Formats: sequence, C-alpha cells, structure tokens
Amino acid sequence: MKPVGFALLPGPGELWVRRGIVSYIGLLVLVPFSVLVFVAFQDGLGAFWERITSDVALSAVGLTLWTGLLVGVLNAFFGTLTAWVLFRYPLPLKPLVSAVVDLPLSIPTLVAGVMLSILYGPASLLGQKFSALGIDIIFAKPGIILALLLVTLPFVVRAVEPVLEEVDPAEEEAAVVLGASPWRAFRTVYFPAIYPAVISGSLRSLGRAMGEFGSIVIVAGNIPQETLTAPVYIFGEIESGHPATAASVGSLLLFIALALHGIARIAEKRVGGRHAQA
Amino acid sequence: MRAIPRALLPLFFVPFLLLSTACQKSSDSSRASEGASTNGKATLVLGAYSVPREAYGKHIIPAFRAKWEKEKGQKLEVSESYMASGAQARAIVGGFEADVASLSLDPDIQKIQDAGLISHDWRKQPHDGIVTQSVVVIGVRKGNPKGISDWADLAKPGVSVLTPNVKTSGGAMWNVLAVYGAILRSEPSEGAEARAEELLAKILANVKIMDSSGRESFLNFERGVGDAIITYENEILVLPEAKRPDIVVPKSTLLIENPVARVDAYTKKHNSEEIAQGFIDFLFSPEAQKAFASQGLRPVDEAVFSEVRSKFAPVENLFTVRDLGGWDHLKKTVFADGGVYDKALAKGRSAGKGS
Repeated sequence: MKPVGFALLPGPGELWVRRGIVSYIGLLVLVPFSVLVFVAFQDGLGAFWERITSDVALSAVGLTLWTGLLVGVLNAFFGTLTAWVLFRYPLPLKPLVSAVVDLPLSIPTLVAGVMLSILYGPASLLGQKFSALGIDIIFAKPGIILALLLVTLPFVVRAVEPVLEEVDPAEEEAAVVLGASPWRAFRTVYFPAIYPAVISGSLRSLGRAMGEFGSIVIVAGNIPQETLTAPVYIFGEIESGHPATAASVGSLLLFIALALHGIARIAEKRVGGRHAQA
Repeated sequence: MRAIPRALLPLFFVPFLLLSTACQKSSDSSRASEGASTNGKATLVLGAYSVPREAYGKHIIPAFRAKWEKEKGQKLEVSESYMASGAQARAIVGGFEADVASLSLDPDIQKIQDAGLISHDWRKQPHDGIVTQSVVVIGVRKGNPKGISDWADLAKPGVSVLTPNVKTSGGAMWNVLAVYGAILRSEPSEGAEARAEELLAKILANVKIMDSSGRESFLNFERGVGDAIITYENEILVLPEAKRPDIVVPKSTLLIENPVARVDAYTKKHNSEEIAQGFIDFLFSPEAQKAFASQGLRPVDEAVFSEVRSKFAPVENLFTVRDLGGWDHLKKTVFADGGVYDKALAKGRSAGKGS
C-alpha cells in the first residue's frame, strides 16, 4: 500500500522528518538496548548461559513470567469487563470512576506497594484476618499478583473502551432483532472489533508486569527462589557489583518480551482472519 | 516494504556514533571545577551514607563551618548527599565529585579506591580511618515474648526474623558476619565452620522478608512485621525511648566500623584537599564524636566514649571483621557466588520447604 495524504514538509524536508524520527527512536530505544545486549554477551555465549541458568536467576525469571502471564490473562478478562461496564451503563460519577481506573498510572508504584503493605501486611488488621485463614498476602506470591494487578489495571480498559465506542450500535440491534442471544450478540458484534485491543492491552500489561520493580520490592519479601522476581534480582546484581549478570537476565527478559509480542501478533492475525471469513 | 530501508539507514549509524564518542575518555573535562579555596569562599562536597545524616547536618557541619570561617576567615559551603552506602559509593565512582566519603563499611570505600579515585592510604588516619562504631544486635518486641537471648534463638521454629538482602544492602553483611563469626569463635573450635553455616541456614529459613535496605527492614519491624530483627544498635538507640523495641545483645557479636576517606581525585580537581582533610580531622574531635554519639553511634574517641558509656550495653565477646580474617577474605569465602552465604540460604530454603 502506498502511503497517501499530504507531506508535513515539502520536498526533501519530509524525508528528513522521517529520518529524524527514526533516529530519535533509535537513540531512545535501540541504543540502550544494544548496550544491554552487548554487556550481556561480551564474555561470550557460555558466560551468558551460565548467568541466566543459575538456580536463583531461573526461578526469578520463572516467577516474573508466570505472574506476568497470569496478570495479563486476568486483565484481559477484568479489563474488558470494566471497559464494557464503563461503556454500556450510565454509571453515576462516570468521569470519576474513569479517573480512578487511571489512578495507578499516576502515582509512583513504590507508593502503591507501600499502600498495599500497610493495608494487607502481616501486622495489619486485614493481614491478620487473612493469615488466620492461612493466607499470606504481603511478603508472599499473592502480594506480587495483587501489586501487578493494581499497577497494570488501566492497560486493557483503556485499549478496549475507545474501540467499543466505535462499534455501530445498529449492528448490535440487527443481531438482537435476528434473534441472537445477548452473549451471541456480544461475541459476534463486539468481540471481533475489540479482540486486537484486548490482546494488545494485555500484552502491555504483561510487559509492564515483567518490568515492575517499585511496588514489588516492597510487597514481595524478595526471598531467592520463592518471592524474588527478576527485576528485583537484577537490582540486587547491580547493587552487589555484577552488572554483567544484571544485563544477561535483563536481555533474557527482553528476548522473552519480543517472543511474546511475536506470538501475540500471530494469534491476532489468526483470530482476525477467522472472523473475517465467518 | 516501501521506502523503509532507506529511512532506516541513519538508525544503523547511531549506535556506532554513540559507542565511538562514549569510548573517548572524557578526561579533559571541559567544565571548570567550581569547588576551590580561592576567592574567600570554599566548598566541600560530602558523600555519606544515610545513618549519620542528622549528626552531620545538624551538628558537625555547622560546627566545622564556624570553625573554618573563624580560623581561615573564609566562607565555607558544604554540600551534602546522603544515600545507602553502596549506592553512594557507586555514585562517587560514577562521577559524583564528593571530596569526602563517609560510608557504612570498608568494602564501599574499597570500591572507590579500586576505581583509582583514592590514591593515599586512607587507613593512615586516627583510629585507622574509622569514625564511628556500633554493634550488631537483635531487636525484639517489648517484653521479649519469644524469649530470645542469643543468636541460636533466631533459628527456632516459629520465630519470624527480619534482615535485609545482602545483595542490595551492604550493611546486611554485618548481620550475616555477626552470626557467622559468633559461632566460628565459639568452643569447641573443630566443626565450628559447619555449625556456623548450619545456624545461618536455620536463621535464614526463618527470614520471610529480605528488604532492600537496613532502613526498610527496620521500618517493617516498626510496622509490626516479624518477631525479631537483626540490626545495628544505633538504629534502635536513635529512637525516642518510648518507641524503642527491646534490645537483645548476643553474648558474642560483631563490632561495626564505619570508615571515612578523602577522595583524592576530586579534592585535587577542586583544590580542596586541605578542607577535606580538615573536615576528616574534625570528625575525630570530641565535639563531632559527641554528635555521633547523640545519634546512637559508638564514638571511637575513648574520652568521649567513657562519658557516654552508660548508653551502650556491654558485650561479652566483641569481635571485629579483622578477627574473622578481614573483608577481602570474607568476601571470597562468605559472600562470593556459591560461598557460605549462598549455601546457607539454599539449605535454609530447602529445609523451610520440608517443614
């Protein structure tokens, strides 16, 4: 497809805008990431492999990955539902609810972590109620998931909501008139439209979860091979003077993130294609 | 693919451009150094760890400034930076131009020296360059409900212990070494090493939270988390009496020693050697030593210490890092990858899971 439309600048100026922006992105993203990968591999593949396969590193990456995936899936569900509720029902104080959804993005996540640990910590009233039931929240895995859910709340909601707004209500009416159940109407009318947004929103929340540090370092407990996540492990390696280990595990996270993006793109195309045929 | 390849061209140059400029040593730093003792005004930059912040900010620096102005007839400006000790050391290595480094532990000064920024023998100061001391103690809840009296009690099942992560908190190394050293020096001497590792493993199995710093760990304890905290005496003594947890002084524990050093590379650049040395000398004066003592730190000056001795609990068997073979030795044997600490941590974890 040829790009159509007007040029921001006439003649060669346009080309320079394009080049400038590409360099801008390159400087901002590609250079730091190349340095990261360079540091990770400068002692060779063997050294890299050794660093990422230590027991502590592996379990930290594993923990980060499964909690991130879980949070991505939970967000896909609850985020879509939240967007649906915001879209469909005339909530009183809707702007306020909408602002509350965005709130987690506007505070330092460290603060979010402190909040959670005060509320659910083992010394708090709620924390004691839960631990009487045999459930530890803060300084245990549920705390990690809770913190991640909090700091990634807006991603799916904000991706899905505008797409819902764009769907032609006439389509839904047609489906209902033709006798479709409400669920079927949702599945056939809204779902195909919002599907890519759900995927990209939950990918972004996964990405954010994989990098989350501020809240996790407070709530997790940071015990190696139990509640130590990859970002906190990386922090520890930097602090204790092992930048190469930090860069190696950082690169591993980077590769995993890229792979997940690839998989999601494919999934998006597949499902998109299926719906197009149907 | 449209014109993308061509548009992408500059992208490939960028990394090389950056790498090549980065490789050029910025030795000829263009910025003229401001700090100097030229025109009737002098500046001193202090890079310190956070514990003595009050002592420096409220007492020592104003007193030193007054003294300097009186003696030299020159205005003195002191800029202060306080961070966790390890982070401060890294900042100084990374180019934060502190004339004087006042840190929590010897290895952090060592980092600065290894980077080539300290060229003199900083231990050739009064008291070997150590300005304050403290001891590793156990903080417990009021009335000591768990009946903790020594290190071994921290290993008992059902005792929840706080101590920060040694990877992120240099100060946490004091805690580990206190436990390890106490057993190492106990009788009988054969098998002591294994017993020390065993006890460390059991205590670490009781640690449910490894905070990133000693401060954070202490805040969690104050918030009501945990039955006992391995911490430094000064952290507890600095609190108003009503808020203090009970202190349990183990029979045998480690003397914490906080070093200070002049950072030659920066004092040369700022032409501030005299001020920096004057400041360090002042830290050993009775006046400064008393200020440190008011923050719960043990003064190294004997006269001052005997004045405030009643504040500090006596320790039956106090040992130093030197008694355990020195930092270099301990970093290799205890804190290196796969060292005593790693082994104890792994053992404690697997034991913890079994129960």
